[in-house]
Formats: sequence, C-alpha cells, structure tokens
Amino acid sequence: MVVLTNLMAQQTIWRLPEESRVLFATLIVAGAFVLILGLIPVLQTLPPRGRRAIVVTVTFLAGLFFAAEFFLPVDWTAIFPKDDPKRNFLTPAIQPAQNVLQIIGALALGLGTFGLVRLHLRNAVQRRAQWGYSIVLLVSFVVMAAFSILNTLAEKKIVERGPVLERGFAILFDHTLIQLDAAMFSLVAFYIFSAAYRAFRIRSVEASILMFTAMLVMIGVVPLGAQISPALPTIANWVLAQLNAPAQRAIEFGVGIGGLAMAIRLWLSLERGVT
Amino acid sequence: MQARTQSVWQRMLSVDRRWLYLILFVNIVIFLLAPLRMPASISPPVQKFYDEIEKLQPGDLVMISSNWSASTLAENQPQLEAVITHLMRKQARFTIISIEAQSRDISYRLAERVTKEKGYQYGEQWAHFGFVPNLVVAIKGMVTDLPNTIKQDVRGTEISKMPALRGVKSLSDYKVVIDVTPSGTVPAWISYSPKNLTILYCPTSVMAAEAYTYLDSGQIKGMITGAKGAQEYEQLLGIKGLGAPFANTISFSHLLIIAFILLGNFAMLMNRLQARREG
Amino acid sequence: MSYQHAQDNWFSAIIIGFIALAVLMNILRAQLGAQLYIRRIPGLDAIDEAIGRSTELGRPVTMIPGLTSFGVVAVQALTIFKYITKQIARFATPMRLLSGDPTVFAVAQEAIADAYNEAGRPDLYDPDNVRFLSDRQFAFASGVAGLIQRERVAANFMFGEFFAESLIFAETGNMVGAIQIAGTVSFTQVPFFVAACDYTIIGDEFYATSAYLSREPVLLGSLVGQDIAKLLFALTTLGGVIAASIAGTDAPIIKLLGQPGGWEAFWKSVLQGGGQ
Repeated sequence: MVVLTNLMAQQTIWRLPEESRVLFATLIVAGAFVLILGLIPVLQTLPPRGRRAIVVTVTFLAGLFFAAEFFLPVDWTAIFPKDDPKRNFLTPAIQPAQNVLQIIGALALGLGTFGLVRLHLRNAVQRRAQWGYSIVLLVSFVVMAAFSILNTLAEKKIVERGPVLERGFAILFDHTLIQLDAAMFSLVAFYIFSAAYRAFRIRSVEASILMFTAMLVMIGVVPLGAQISPALPTIANWVLAQLNAPAQRAIEFGVGIGGLAMAIRLWLSLERGVT
Repeated sequence: MQARTQSVWQRMLSVDRRWLYLILFVNIVIFLLAPLRMPASISPPVQKFYDEIEKLQPGDLVMISSNWSASTLAENQPQLEAVITHLMRKQARFTIISIEAQSRDISYRLAERVTKEKGYQYGEQWAHFGFVPNLVVAIKGMVTDLPNTIKQDVRGTEISKMPALRGVKSLSDYKVVIDVTPSGTVPAWISYSPKNLTILYCPTSVMAAEAYTYLDSGQIKGMITGAKGAQEYEQLLGIKGLGAPFANTISFSHLLIIAFILLGNFAMLMNRLQARREG
Repeated sequence: MSYQHAQDNWFSAIIIGFIALAVLMNILRAQLGAQLYIRRIPGLDAIDEAIGRSTELGRPVTMIPGLTSFGVVAVQALTIFKYITKQIARFATPMRLLSGDPTVFAVAQEAIADAYNEAGRPDLYDPDNVRFLSDRQFAFASGVAGLIQRERVAANFMFGEFFAESLIFAETGNMVGAIQIAGTVSFTQVPFFVAACDYTIIGDEFYATSAYLSREPVLLGSLVGQDIAKLLFALTTLGGVIAASIAGTDAPIIKLLGQPGGWEAFWKSVLQGGGQ
C-alpha cells in the first residue's frame, strides 16, 4: 500500500515509461477497443435498469475522482516522507484526465463536422432548396482545411512553404477570414442602434430608469462626456462600480449556487432531464 | 374606404432599420476620418493598471494572455500595443499565451511588429508560448511546472533553453499576468493562479461590466476597457495609437444613439397625444 | 499559493459543503412529500404560447444553446429544449436546433430523438434538424442569422451561454417577427436580450427552469436548497458588514474569515478561540 501510494504520488503510475512508450500506448488503445467492443453486446443484452445502474456508477466514480482530488488534504509528508507537499496522490492524474476530455472533445468536433458535411453533400447531390450555398460551403471547407493543414506542416518544417501556400494562406486567412470575422462583429454595433431605438421607451417606471441610466453611462464613459461635463465620467463610474457591481454580484451568487446544485444532481444522477 | 395615412410620428416610430444603419455608418465614417481628437479623462481602473506596471523592475516577468481574434481587433489591438510598449519601457520580460489558434497568430505578429520597432529581441526579452487548448489545465500546469506544461514556444524552441525564461520554474516566478480578452477568461486566472501574482485585465467594453466586482474586491488590480481605455492608457504613456481615433468615433456614435433614443421617445409621446386628440 | 484544493481555502470548502447539504436535504424533503412553492416565471409560461404561434403560422421553431461548451449550463439548456420538443411533437411543428459546440451537438441529437420518442412521435424526428454549424463564434452567428432569415422562424428559444453574438441572434429574430424567449447565465448579454427579446430569463431563473416546467420533487427540492444557500450568503454578508463595522477590519475574526489560509489557520483559530 505504501509503495502504491508513493508511486501514485510520484506520478509514475500516471505516466508511461519513457523507453517503451509507443508499445504501452498501442496496448492501451488496443485494450480500450477490445473493452468497448466487448462492452457493447453486454450493454445491449442488459435490461434498461441494468444499463442505468452502469451509467449511474460510472458517472458517480468520474465525479468522485474530481471531488476527491479537490477535498483530500495535500500534505501527506508525515506519512509518506517522499511525497510532494503541494499535492495529494490524485493530483498527478488531473492532467491525463483533462487530456482525455480534450480528446473526446476533438472526436466530437469530428462528429459535428461529419454531420455538417453530410447534410450539405446531400443538399448538393439532391439539388434541395438553396443547394448552391451548400456547394460554396463544401468548397470553402476543403480549400481552407487544405491550406491550414499545409500551413501548420510548413510551420513545423515538415513541408516546404512555397509561394502558392504563402499567398493562398494569406488570402484565405488574413484577407478573408479575419475580415469576415470583424465584419460580423461590427454588425453588433448596428443592431445595438436599432435595438436601443426600439426598446428604450418610457413605458413604465422601470423602463424609464433603465433608459436614463443607460444614456448617462453611454455618454459618461466616452471622451465626449468629459468634454460636456467633468461630472459625467464620475457619475458613469459610480453607476458601474456602485450599482452595477452589487447587482451583478447578487446574480453571480445565484448562478454559482445554481450551477453547483445542478452539478450535484448530475453527479448523483438525480437529474433526469437529458438522459 | 381610404387607408389612413401614417402621421410623421408613426413613420418615425416604424422607420425601416436600414435607414438607422445608414445614418450610423455615415456617422462612423465621418468621425473616423475627421481630424478631431478629444483628450480622455483618466478613469481610476486605468490609472491603477498604469501604476501596477510602473512598479515593475527591469527583468521582471509578465504573462500576457491574449485571447482575442479579428472580431475584437478594434478594442483589443490598441490595448495590447500600448501594454507591450509600456512593458518594453520598463524593460520587463514578457511571454504571451493564447487559447485560440487565430489569436495565437494575431498576437504573435502584433508583438513581433511592436517589439521590432523598439529593438526588443525574441527569445531574449520576450517569447510566445503559442496556443493551449484549455486555459484552466494550462494554468494549473504552469503553477506547478511551467517548462513541462508549455514545453515549446511558438517557434518550436524548448522553453527551458530560452534566455528570456532562464530560471523560470512556475507561474510563481512571474510578477503580473495581463489578460487581453473578449471572453470571460479572467475568473480562471483569479481562481487558479498563485496569489502573489497581480492580475490586470484588458476586456472589451461589453465584458468590462462584469469585472467591476473583481476590481472592487482587489482580485483584479487594474483594468483597461475597450478602445476608450486604450486611449486613456496611450495618453498616460504619451504615445499615439489607435485607441484615440476609435474612442472618438465611439463618442459620436453614442451621441447619435442617445439622440435617436430621445427622438423615439418624443415621437412616441407626440403619437399618443395625437391619438388622444383624434379620439 | 493558489486555490487548487480545499485545503488552500477552508472557508470555500465549508461553504460548498453547506450548499451541497442544503440541496440534498431539501431534495429528500421533497421526495418525502413536502409541498414546495415556486413563484411564477413569465418567460417560461410563454413557451407554450410561442409554440402555438409557430404552429398556426406553419413556420419553424429554432432552439439555440449558443456557444455553450458541454457542462451544467448545456445540460440545463438541453433539458429545456427537450421539454420544448415534446410540446412541438404534439403539433408536428417544424424545428431546428443549432449548436455551436460539437459535444453539445452529439448529446442534443440523442436528447431530441428521445423527446420525440417520449412524445410518441418518433416518425417526426429528422437528424438534419439538429445541426452543428461551427465552433467559431461569428461563423456560428452568421449561420444562425442566415437560417432565421431564410426560414422566417416564428419562435426563437435561446438558452445557454452567449457572448457577443447574442444580439445578432436576437435582432435577426426580431427582424423576422419571431417571438423570442432567452435565458442565459451570461450577465453581460442580459441587456441585449432584454432589449431585443419578448421574455428574458436571468441568472439562476435559468437553473430553475427545469423545476418550473416539470414540477419534479427532486428539482423543486434542489431549488429550495439553493434559495436557502442564497439566504446564507445574504446573512453572511450582513453579518460581515455588522462585524466589520463594530470590530473594524483589523479584528482577528474578520481577518480570519476574510483571508483564508488553509486548514492549519482554521484549526488554530478554533482551538485558540478567535483567530490569529
């Protein structure tokens, strides 16, 4: 037991040995495939209650890992002198666990991209409504992906950065993507204008307070406000620091507590919403 | 039966929004091109930001977390340029990290341009850590072991071999972290970075509202808000940047919006009066 | 030292423990039959009205979980969308769920398929109606805005975490005359939703939505537990204000509570009876 916890504390158990890293990694991936392929028929033969029991157990253990890592004391040097006093025996496993979550996220990105491409391919092949836009999407997707991948390989000196790649990537990234991104964000300014013109009306006491406060802050936070009156920036800062901040604090408390309660319900499988 | 024609007040209330967009567009273009420049009054958060950087000694390490992309270029670019200029003035070492692939490229190119103009050497006085996919994991890793968490910079050089990072073992070796971002990444820095680290914040104007609680509690020591904050900071530094022209354009856009809000309310009032008169 | 473990900040650890206890005890209370009250939330009452309007007009309903990455916010958003889908299935109203996160998209496909199954209309489920558009903020925004405009949606539900793109969704929905209900935990986007949407659900009302719609005892109990925790926060703040006003901010007990320094500091203060 002492040897095991010492090993876990020293990270040895969470990292593959340097010398045979490729072999161990291959074995782990192959083992995972076999486990999953073997697990699927077992899960299918189980009754729904049995499947739910497995899901509940796995969810609980996964949540328990992170909760235990946070709550367990960190300084175990009194019992294990070789231990690092800044972490407990689960802390070294956090990084690998987060890496696993990121890999799952990357797989999900592949799934999402597959769904998108499939939809638009079908639109194009079956000539559904507005299939021309689907062609545009597919061509843009392929071209941008090709240039981006080549650019990354060129950065790592795996392929040569020729003039076509250089120019092509500059056109696609600097002159197209960046400009389109900025253009879309700039729409927000125009939409704010139309939304403010439509919404800021004296319809009720609350709406009037909202309107006048918004106007005060809008003019107070810009240089023009200071030119009109030195009091305006002071009032605007006061509204932001003394009215906005406490209200926001109150909302953030509620949101934080709500999030924690929801996390507890999910961990203990008390939440029946999505599952 | 003849259709009732709309009164001028009704027409004002139901104006096609495209006219509003055109008016705003013309307003922005005029004041962006006009040579009119107004000085800004320095707000307390910007003054605190400046004072914190002024406390730095030559050789102190600063972490810049740059997470903005092209969409918020108008607000975050002047902030980052002004901050890097100030850090170079204080001869501080700095490293840049990004959680977005696009922001990695943008911040790297911007820093290269600004530092080249002032003679700062890459690798000697500054470095770019490239892109990390998960900020919380990266911060937690850097708190314990920075060289093994980041491993390589954006050019592929090992962190442990870089003169700019000589002797750096963890985030605790830094003095300040500056978060230049359009998204809510500063709570991660507040929660997970070492408590001796000073956190400074450069958000877009939209995100600034939620940072006042952190300013109030002292978890953030200073803040530069959007283009206007960049203008104030440029003023403190005595440099010319993009903050001033952008902030002036914003001033007159705000004035236009306020004018139209008042006009809309006036039209609503007149419409009600007219309706009452007509029975 | 950073707050990476409970030992770095005993005060937070105790608070988390108390909140968890309050939630679990009230869930138990609810399961044992206690009648729990929840106040009216107008935005949620309007969901059925919005769906009815969509059905009459024959135009689709859009559901947007935003750029929420998979977590408690996304699960809550999908729970709400599942409820909406079950209502939609009764009237065979067309729907589109547009996701900006691939993991949320994968879970949403299953959730929406389940919703149609539970409503007894599995034939209405079309996987192409649950779409992943892009994880890039403004690519996603332009995709959503384009779809709303082209399909002239009649009802637009936005629940989740939003950033600058929120106003693009809301204003585009307003342009096509859609009835819009938004719920978000993103404080900075609330003003945009208030200005552009018909109903806005703010802050922890978002987490109360599943309890409000389903009236399940577990969820109602959890909500009561949350409110008790909020009351504790309010009383702690009030107590801290009074104590600091009387004793001054340099008093040992104020310093102890205001600057947590780990379990050692806490036990020392308890054993020594007053702080350091």
